[in-house]
Amino acid sequence: MQIREYVIRRLLVLPLILVGTSLIVFTLGRVGGNPIAIYLEHEMTPEEVAQIEERYGLNESLPEQYVAWVGGVLRGDLGFSGVSAAPVMEVLPDRLAATLELSIASAIIAVSMGIGLGTFAGARRDRLPDHLTRVFAISGAATPIFWFAIVMLIIFWVYLGWFPVGRSDATIFNSISHPTGLYTIDAILAGSFTAFRDAIWHLALPAVTLGYGATAIITRMMRSSLAEELNEDYVDAARAKGLPERLVLRRHARRNALIPTVTVIGLGFGFLLQGSVVVEIIFIWPGLGRWMADAVLRGDQATIMAYVLFTSILFLIVNLIVDVLYAYLDRRVVLGS
Amino acid sequence: MRTRQSRLSLTIIAVALSMIAAACTTSEDTADTTAPAAVTTAADTETTTAATEATEPAADTTEPAPSGDVTNPGLYVHAADDEPLSLDPAGVAAGEAGETVILQVYERLVEIGPGGPDLVPGLSTDVPTVDNGLISEDGLTYTFPIRDGVVFHDGSALSADVVKFNWDRVLTMDLPEGNGSIIADLVDSTSVDGNNFVVTLNERNAAFLNSVVTAAVASIVSQDAVEANGGVVAGQPNDFFTGNAVGSGAYRLTAWNRGETIELEVFEDYWGEPANLDVRIQQVPDSDVRVLGLRAGDFDSIETDPTFVTDLEGADGVTIFQEGWLLEPVHIGLNLDIQEDLLPPEDTVPADFFWDPRVRQAFNYAFNYENFIQGGLSGLGGTVPHYLPQGMLAYDDSLVRYATDLARAEELFRETGWWDEGFTMTVLVEEGGIFETAGLVLKDSMAALNPSFVVNVAAVVEVQFDDAHAQVPFEYAAWIKNADPFADPAALFAAYEHPDGEWGSVHKFRNGYQDADGIAALIDEAAVSIDTERRIEIYQELTQLLFDDPMWVLAGNERALMAHRDWVQNFQMNPLWPRPSLKFALFNK
Repeated sequence: MQIREYVIRRLLVLPLILVGTSLIVFTLGRVGGNPIAIYLEHEMTPEEVAQIEERYGLNESLPEQYVAWVGGVLRGDLGFSGVSAAPVMEVLPDRLAATLELSIASAIIAVSMGIGLGTFAGARRDRLPDHLTRVFAISGAATPIFWFAIVMLIIFWVYLGWFPVGRSDATIFNSISHPTGLYTIDAILAGSFTAFRDAIWHLALPAVTLGYGATAIITRMMRSSLAEELNEDYVDAARAKGLPERLVLRRHARRNALIPTVTVIGLGFGFLLQGSVVVEIIFIWPGLGRWMADAVLRGDQATIMAYVLFTSILFLIVNLIVDVLYAYLDRRVVLGS
Repeated sequence: MRTRQSRLSLTIIAVALSMIAAACTTSEDTADTTAPAAVTTAADTETTTAATEATEPAADTTEPAPSGDVTNPGLYVHAADDEPLSLDPAGVAAGEAGETVILQVYERLVEIGPGGPDLVPGLSTDVPTVDNGLISEDGLTYTFPIRDGVVFHDGSALSADVVKFNWDRVLTMDLPEGNGSIIADLVDSTSVDGNNFVVTLNERNAAFLNSVVTAAVASIVSQDAVEANGGVVAGQPNDFFTGNAVGSGAYRLTAWNRGETIELEVFEDYWGEPANLDVRIQQVPDSDVRVLGLRAGDFDSIETDPTFVTDLEGADGVTIFQEGWLLEPVHIGLNLDIQEDLLPPEDTVPADFFWDPRVRQAFNYAFNYENFIQGGLSGLGGTVPHYLPQGMLAYDDSLVRYATDLARAEELFRETGWWDEGFTMTVLVEEGGIFETAGLVLKDSMAALNPSFVVNVAAVVEVQFDDAHAQVPFEYAAWIKNADPFADPAALFAAYEHPDGEWGSVHKFRNGYQDADGIAALIDEAAVSIDTERRIEIYQELTQLLFDDPMWVLAGNERALMAHRDWVQNFQMNPLWPRPSLKFALFNK
């Protein structure tokens, strides 16, 4: 199957997956608590509770509520976010952009560091650099992100004062327009070095923190995979042809070692989205994760549904990219077979 | 290949360098502290409730500037733990985070002054009293002379008609999630007489000024802004005012960056003493991060609870303000309307378990107050008479209150037959924090008294607690929360002790009170009396009656706490103001 055909087919299936996901979350949300709990006060009379239920259409049957929610989604209306006191669609773009920016920055760090360190260690198997890298990888995978984030804050915010928390300096942030919502990109588009520096300055700590765990996993996978590839016959053949070790490693072994690593990277993006909840709370990063945490704790169903919808889309798109990349790296892979 | 790798390496190096450069060059702007002469007035501290006189300037509170650099000069940053659900006075619930902003950007006819419970003029030029003729002899009619020269943040002018529009707006919208019922329950009619706003009550009420006129729901919004943004629709929140504010306060709202900051700017055309600093309310849900931010100097004050105090004591540049008390005692609610079939299956307590006052007394004697105050409140708390927290009108240190007395608890349980029979019950609490601690102390207290007394603590997340807490009938034998921070004992007693009040009706206090009508009559009399001495006498009498016939276990009351940087000048906190009980306009740094 051609890549284009495969992508189209996957995109066509996407709405079905979203309907299934949303149905599950919608049902669980109703089972897990009252959708208007965020507004409930103990002194409310049953009539007042009924008044709020009517306002948000919660006096209808569950199937009717679901159909109404889907209808709203199709019209671009995802309901009212109780935790943000605003329509979901007013809040979501900024939140999504903030999380995307953080996740992408973390992914860049994790992928570049993970592949680099994994290659470095795999090529020096059972030597000191390999052992040190493995210590780094194991500690990264084992360190609780919450604790690591706090340690980073204590060192770099409280004691050294090198990095701030939050997403931006409000004055600088408001001094430029935000066509993409990604602060770094907007700063570049605006040609403002001050804004770009502010964006990077604020992004650095949370991105490194969030990327640490994923870096460790990618490093470990890359290292094992490369070590295996280096034992393959084709590597011996390449060496026998007289290719320098550097080229053997980069042109042959690393490319093949990347194939399983790419799968891990795809899964790692999901890890980044999950980890972003904690990192966003600790670093006061106004993204989807923190929004979701607020919504879950306060029972804001409209926000929870919006989060699930958009993270599902994100996750599916990333997996699609990984599949395509997988086929690109390994020509033997037949997409859709 | 080499070129591509070189480019990649250069890119990585460039990004790394830009991060380091950013870290090194973008240090916080700092400046030497200047100390403008911040002269503020404090209210005369006569303790009256219904008849508070307008206050005179009382103190020069200028403070010397602290040494060292001040972070964010010109800007006051407060780290809050919660984000508002609404900024509309008509739609905000009592105790909700939106009140924090409403207090700064809106004004009311009269205000609670910084020094205590006394009232000071706000948009009304005088605080009504019987003596100044602004309260009628029968105590039913209040006249508020409206201040001239007040403009809203949109440039429109204040008038008595605008005030009437606002009070009518709250009643018309009648939002269930709002606090409009406190107006609707008391007010018979409103009218305009020249530039006076006149309110007629349906019955006398001693707490009308302190609890209604000063409440967030009575804040005055620009009529022009309302009419230009959705108007007034019965039963429907106004979406514009849910997320925006157009008031006449010392601050105007410039931005609400959801999940991040609320930005307030000094309102230059404010009629009164202008504010000194712009304000940023930073949303910081994690308490550890709030503590770190205060230490780092990025926050000027943080939402504080007693568990932080040990982390912050002795921290460089940090002061812990701990004067006065909160008005929100932690209480254990005892359900006198138990539905046995609704209780958790392991519970064995019968429907009438708490009907006998001796059982309720026994719980009060068995509870280990010292453990709760030392453990849950880090030693920064005290016990409370029923139901008069420290700082409230009529409170006196000599008032009778419970202390742990296991011998007396045993005696009472033996008298009622529970000592030999034993029981299992479940107490519902919100997980984490002082409520769960109170639940565990109750569990341990009862187990220490008698191993056959089993208290299970059902700790659930906030949303589940709120949902269960609102159910009628309530599905647990007991629950733990704190009181709403009412400014007057009339509201406290009506809500928490009156047999037909908010909780009395839900938990069927009449099933347990030995003299429900007598208690109701006293609470009702104190609520309408405008004789302060008589009110004090009644409330103090009630504390004795309710000691003998308690409807709650009052676990303890917290001291008012706020950690702030040393450089904050004229720091004041009044627990009678909505949390965090701060008026930023008073501060400088």
